[in-house]
Amino acid sequence: MMGWLPENVSTYGKDIDRLFYIIYYITGVSFLLVSGTMVVFLILYRQREGRRATYVHGNTTLEIIWTIVPAIILVVLSFMSQASWGNIKGRVPPSEVHVQVTAKQFNWEILYPGPDGKIGTADDLQMDNELHVPVGKVVRVTLKAKDVIHSFFLPNLRLKQDAVPGREIQAWFEATKPGRYELPCAELCGFGHSGMLGHLTVHTADDYNKWVKEQWPSS
Amino acid sequence: MSEAVATHAVHEELGFLRTYVFSTDHKMIARQFLFLGLFMMILGGLMALMIRWQLAWPETQVPGTRWIPEPFMTDGYMNPAFYNTLFTMHATIMIFFVIMPILVGCYGNFLIPLMIGARDMAFPVLNMLSFWVGAVAGVVMLAGFFVPGGHAASGWTSYAPLSAVTQYTGVDWGQNLWCISLIILGLSSLMGSINYITTIINMRAPGMTFFRLPLVIWSLFIVAILLLLALPVLTSALAMLLLDRMAGTSFFLPAGGGEPLLWQHLFWFFGHPEVYILILPAMGIASDILSVFSRKPIFGYRAMAFSMIGIAFLSWVVWGHHMFQSGMSPALGFSFMVTTMVIAVPSAIKTFNWLGTIWGGSIRFTTPMLNALAFVSMFVVGGLSGIFMASTPVDIFIHDTYFIVAHIHYVVFGGSVFGLFAAVYYWFPKMFGRMMNEPLGKIHFFTTFIAYNCTFFAMHILGIGGMMRRIYNPMQYEFLHPLQPINVFITWSAIALGLAQIPFVINFFWSLFAGRKAERNPWKANTLEWVAPSPPPHGNFDAIPVVYRGPYEYSSPEVTEDYLPQDRQLVPQRVATAH
Amino acid sequence: MPRGEVVTSIVDVGTEQRVEIPSRVGAPPFTGSPSGRDPFPWSPDPMVGPPVSNARLGMLVFLAFEGMFFAGLLGTFLVFRLGSQFWPPVGQPRLPILVTSANTAILLFSSWTMRNGLRAMRKGDWDGLTTGLSWTALLGTTFLIVQGSEWLRLIRHGLTLSAGIYGATFYTLIGCHGLHVLGAVIWLLIARIGLSDKRFWARRQVGVELGGMYWYFVVALWPVLFALVYLS
Repeated sequence: MMGWLPENVSTYGKDIDRLFYIIYYITGVSFLLVSGTMVVFLILYRQREGRRATYVHGNTTLEIIWTIVPAIILVVLSFMSQASWGNIKGRVPPSEVHVQVTAKQFNWEILYPGPDGKIGTADDLQMDNELHVPVGKVVRVTLKAKDVIHSFFLPNLRLKQDAVPGREIQAWFEATKPGRYELPCAELCGFGHSGMLGHLTVHTADDYNKWVKEQWPSS
Repeated sequence: MSEAVATHAVHEELGFLRTYVFSTDHKMIARQFLFLGLFMMILGGLMALMIRWQLAWPETQVPGTRWIPEPFMTDGYMNPAFYNTLFTMHATIMIFFVIMPILVGCYGNFLIPLMIGARDMAFPVLNMLSFWVGAVAGVVMLAGFFVPGGHAASGWTSYAPLSAVTQYTGVDWGQNLWCISLIILGLSSLMGSINYITTIINMRAPGMTFFRLPLVIWSLFIVAILLLLALPVLTSALAMLLLDRMAGTSFFLPAGGGEPLLWQHLFWFFGHPEVYILILPAMGIASDILSVFSRKPIFGYRAMAFSMIGIAFLSWVVWGHHMFQSGMSPALGFSFMVTTMVIAVPSAIKTFNWLGTIWGGSIRFTTPMLNALAFVSMFVVGGLSGIFMASTPVDIFIHDTYFIVAHIHYVVFGGSVFGLFAAVYYWFPKMFGRMMNEPLGKIHFFTTFIAYNCTFFAMHILGIGGMMRRIYNPMQYEFLHPLQPINVFITWSAIALGLAQIPFVINFFWSLFAGRKAERNPWKANTLEWVAPSPPPHGNFDAIPVVYRGPYEYSSPEVTEDYLPQDRQLVPQRVATAH
Repeated sequence: MPRGEVVTSIVDVGTEQRVEIPSRVGAPPFTGSPSGRDPFPWSPDPMVGPPVSNARLGMLVFLAFEGMFFAGLLGTFLVFRLGSQFWPPVGQPRLPILVTSANTAILLFSSWTMRNGLRAMRKGDWDGLTTGLSWTALLGTTFLIVQGSEWLRLIRHGLTLSAGIYGATFYTLIGCHGLHVLGAVIWLLIARIGLSDKRFWARRQVGVELGGMYWYFVVALWPVLFALVYLS
């Protein structure tokens, strides 16, 4: 089942995948235990002539055990999750690259601040559905939406964040491998929801500089 | 509790209209809810098949749909807006017009008076109104297909602002009717809740204390309370959504100072208890059936009752787990993650207790039992897959993917619908006075079970592969191309799942008219409904039973048979032991 | 079972129990689960009936629904109220606190007339009941008229439903309460008319009783709304 995860190319993606594996093994073992026990019981205790069912109403010790064990596992999982959650969504690390993504029906408007690094100045450059970033750099994304809620989804970077009209939401990622990846919208946004698709191009450092030169030749 | 009135009612000859249409008899109202639910289930199922066809073979003609006019379908080719309508209405119908009417409406109505030993509900006329108001809601909901602009197309969650402004979806009156229908349905559920709660508190037979109630009654009692407290919140949210759409307010529109996330908070504050409203009755049904066919007392009766109460309480503080990626403060994510993890504990307790119930039993593999066992195992899968979503970082990836779709179907189909089938097979003799056909029932069960798992388990893989929910054409995305064979496989399985329901329909209607006549207590069960004749007359019992013990005294050493009905009085004759 | 005794035979008296059981039969001893006592060993006594009648219990359940409905609207109001710096927003009129305070007093006073009416009913005093109901309905109508005229003034000052979130929350919340008061007044009037023929009044007491409960609910809700919407 694990082979189905899309290739991970972000720094925090491996934390998410690791948690995914941990939960996968815990739940997998639990499922096998429960269903295995059930099948064994169904075979052992099927109706047979001359055998009467056991007359028991419960067992307090057992009840306590199977309350506490899952509770401990689940609380431990919560705390394990919290570390990565805080890292991914709780804060944005210092970033060198900043873009503003405005979602609208049915496009991603990607606004690059240009060489001055500030949004809202003359050298801003807007591209539809094309997000270019360098590899190995923290990219801060300011998410906005013009009309309805959209969701900024980078499957290969394990990033998903809704873009909500009336709000500015900060997200970030750091790509680890150059390439071209898809950027679909993950929240139903109207009849064009399917097919609302952008692309993320992760450049090597040299490539990225070349790309910047092409876009802002004057500077 | 007036004896005179009830006995009188037995002898009164009622006309056709009063007997079958505007009946105040809780059993007739239950049957009405059952037929409403089964009819809607066919509609919802056909919609699901159309959705599946589109996903497996996008932009091909959907067979048998050329009669559907523009703008929905163009000569059998589905339009994206109609696709959105289909999944919106599939979910809406299945949740609000199939599972709630059958599990809560039908079995709540049928079982509560019979199992607590009452002659009818506390408010029979209100009960009748509850069905008819619900039926009006159904008509209004279906009417939405025939208005210009088509039916609601913003998902069953109807996230604002998509649902709040007409031009975002192009849907005008469809969405309004959707809101109005759910408000009306809320009134129907309110009437039901008032009846259920009052009846369970006030009309139990002598000796029927709360801790002698069958667990299915406990579950319905808790569901009634959840409905009562959750639905008004949805009603207020729907009213505001309607005002936004029709009166120019801007509760959910940022342009006018509104807040889109407010809708999500209100919706999920209702929505999460709603999920438990769908699953709790099935839990109760499974508990009863497992005990009956294991011929063994339920394991940990009190733990079962208290864990349901625990689930009910916790279900009010977990709604935020639907909103981890919504832009809600990430700090809230942790608290909602912890509550969500904790709510899995009572579910785990219940699962282990079900295993404890079959342990050491003498298990009869009847159709209701098989469905109840399927309920347990499928609910386990649904519960365990929920842990993935509860973990906030993992949810970043799987949120809004097919993993979620797989999860909800394991809970709502694997859980509620198998519970529903178990209930139909188990109580059919009491409800209609005839037995259902066992071989056909087993064919239905095994084909459904296999096709169901092929359909929905594979959806986990789609989700892990990153396939988003609610997309119209997966082939538009390069990273989903390798997953397309799975989509095709799921669609074939879904078609098989649809076909697997044919034996059920045949069995149901054939048994209705030609099934073997049922005796009073064909399953040799303990609970009070089996004391009444099959089917019970208006007024239910020959005489109100007196309850002497809990509902699960199977294989008790006190008697030679392996069951001991709740109303049987044992008078032990004691003599000194001779050594 | 006491030590030293064994059950040698069991007499099954059958399942066909008559309902003629002695009064105050209570619950037969709990034998369901050997592991535990019954924490709630109560079932309604068929001779005495339940402590709270069906009608009253049903009404209480209904009021819980109403309470949650208003909780949803109030929650919405509070989200916007607590989330904004200026309330009322710039350019929007203030709410009429003085008139509404007087109106609050009128509504609160009506709960006293209602109480007098209900007390009279329980004592079998027809005159007291009808007077109480008439006064309550009159006070309720006054409340509605004053509210309505204040609304007209507010609308003239530009506070409309669609004028932003301030107007929207105000009219939705206060309007819903107004509709509830209106419903309660209509209920009281119907009850009052039903009582005019003194011969039938005994059978109509349940309706009056429930109307009274509902009236207390809408009256009790008002000070909460007044404090949160007008005074905060």
